[in-house]
Amino acid sequence: MSKLLEIRGLRARIAGGREVLKGIDLDVSPGEVHAIMGPNGAGKSTLSSVLAGKPGYEVTEGTVRYLGHDLLAMPADERAREGVFLAFQYPVEIPGVNNMYFLRAALNAGRRQRGQAELDAQQFLKSVRERLKLLDIGDDLLRRAVNVGFSGGEKKRNEIFQMAMLEPRLAILDETDSGLDIDALRAVSDGVNRLRDPARAIVMITHYQRLLDYIVPDRVHVLADGRIVASGDKTFAAELERTGYAHLVDAA
Amino acid sequence: MTDDSAPFREGFDQMLATVAEPVWLTFRRRAEMDRFALLGFPTRRQEAWRFTDLEPLTAAAPLPRAAAGDDPPPSPASLGPWLLPVSTHRLVLANGHVAPSLSAGPPLPDGVWLASVAETLRRRPDLLEGAFGDEGGALAALNAALFTDGVVLALAPGVILETPVEIIHHTSAAGAHARLHIALGAGSRATVVETAMGPAGDEGAEGGPAGRVASWGNTVGVVTLGAGAVLTHLHVQAEGPAACHTATVRAVLADRARYDACALITGARLSRRDMAVILAGDEAEFRLHGAYLLDGDQEATLSVRADHLGLGCDTEEVVKGVLAGASHGVFLGTLAVAPGADGADARQVNRNLLLSPTARVDTKPELEILADDVKCAHGATVGSLDEAALFYLQARGIDPETARRMLVEAFAAEAIEAAGLPDALAELAHRHLRRWLDGRGS
Repeated sequence: MSKLLEIRGLRARIAGGREVLKGIDLDVSPGEVHAIMGPNGAGKSTLSSVLAGKPGYEVTEGTVRYLGHDLLAMPADERAREGVFLAFQYPVEIPGVNNMYFLRAALNAGRRQRGQAELDAQQFLKSVRERLKLLDIGDDLLRRAVNVGFSGGEKKRNEIFQMAMLEPRLAILDETDSGLDIDALRAVSDGVNRLRDPARAIVMITHYQRLLDYIVPDRVHVLADGRIVASGDKTFAAELERTGYAHLVDAA
Repeated sequence: MTDDSAPFREGFDQMLATVAEPVWLTFRRRAEMDRFALLGFPTRRQEAWRFTDLEPLTAAAPLPRAAAGDDPPPSPASLGPWLLPVSTHRLVLANGHVAPSLSAGPPLPDGVWLASVAETLRRRPDLLEGAFGDEGGALAALNAALFTDGVVLALAPGVILETPVEIIHHTSAAGAHARLHIALGAGSRATVVETAMGPAGDEGAEGGPAGRVASWGNTVGVVTLGAGAVLTHLHVQAEGPAACHTATVRAVLADRARYDACALITGARLSRRDMAVILAGDEAEFRLHGAYLLDGDQEATLSVRADHLGLGCDTEEVVKGVLAGASHGVFLGTLAVAPGADGADARQVNRNLLLSPTARVDTKPELEILADDVKCAHGATVGSLDEAALFYLQARGIDPETARRMLVEAFAAEAIEAAGLPDALAELAHRHLRRWLDGRGS
């Protein structure tokens, strides 16, 4: 089966600043869940930002192909409409923009791109209700402005709810587990597991092995100093738990 | 020293020679014209006008038309987009004269007087005698001297006027001086929507030399609220790009009266709205919510002064500014609490969004607190669109232009929502906001 995501020799820096990614190679196939772990400052969040097209980063070398297309040539909004989804580590509060209005605009932007008819209010609402039920989320979230006044857990659940609505081909979860208590972590993980699909790939960026107890990955990678220094299957995460990153980081 | 009143004198003398109106009014007009001659047009040398350059107006101020029939009234179709989506008591003023053919509404309930100023002077001059004067500076003086017509709304005590009063000022290629007198008796309630508009684009703009304005609407509003009376007053200023719009509003509130004002300013090459609200009685309340949204070479000033005289009065002001192109917005807000006006609670916020490096804003919040027991808070901010929010929207597939529009709309809409307007008024305000966003093309 063809690759969903192919990263080759990716080097990137913070605009006008230091190099953070120093040659990343990564292949992700449809249906796979990858975990990218590593110490602080290894470049994990930079990788997710570069893949999502966040301004403020410069790619200096390498290629990223998504479904065979040059991902880096697309602006951020086009990447999203083509099925790349970033669950933010820090979801942004947007006062005055209603969650439902925002989500419908986002959903219909993607549908237009794919040549599908836009959903009317009723169809949209039906879809929303199904997803809320699937993820076991109350509908009070929807009446509020985007992320405004949400608790940390609510924000993360809202990210997963958006993912469920937008049905991406590639979902990048950037430290989705950070700041969550155990109940919230379980709820978010359950949501992600329900969204696992043979056509969809998930890349989880995390600091803690804990998340991998709930969302069991197919592949685990260690990112250190801008490079992937070790990879393995799901048992590798448990091994890391025992040995830590230090010996891998030093070797890098 | 030049006499700024000179260009107006010929038409003024002609008008006085032809109109049939009460003698007291003729005296009043003469006194106001003399007052204007003494004051002259405001200049930037005056503190309150430091940021407002009237030069595009004063270089050759458009003169009033002598009679109602001098200009064709606006077509009903052109008014459509500006009308409330419900039944109203509508009065349309074309260049300062009420146009009966465009004005209509259901029968008025008992205890309600709603008519043109001209008709009121004929049939109920008592409602206007004594209601003139002391409305403000030079522009109000010129209005009082030259006014051609206007609207009078007077409610007897305890009368609730459910149907909104809708007043449209249509100004094209002339100087229009109209008056709005609102007097609500104790415990009465009314809703008034005032829309100032003119020909869109360049149509009808006779186009003076570059940089000058082709039309000038100069209105004065006199609001008197009796004890416990409530007035909701939405002002939409959507004049064309060659227009100048100036307005002076003076409101006096008795005990427990409430004045809910909302101002949405998007039109005119040059505009200024001066509001002076006197909370004279105890526990009176004043709310001002609004926004100015400007683009191109537009300049707009919103100036508001709230004077707390009574005990335990309450003022809340939330004003947003959106400045694009090379536009210039000015907010002047003074909260004043007189000696002994204890228990005052006054809050004022002015937030501005600059959408271009050449846009400009001046914001000047001021407190004049002469009482001891007061709560006053004010704040002003100037910023640009939140980059993090822009990226968040784009990361969900929303294109940059739509994302910017969503954020600007949300920013300005907050002021409308905070106003808590009745549904029909809120719809008109939001429709107007979207119209501005559509026209701008981001």
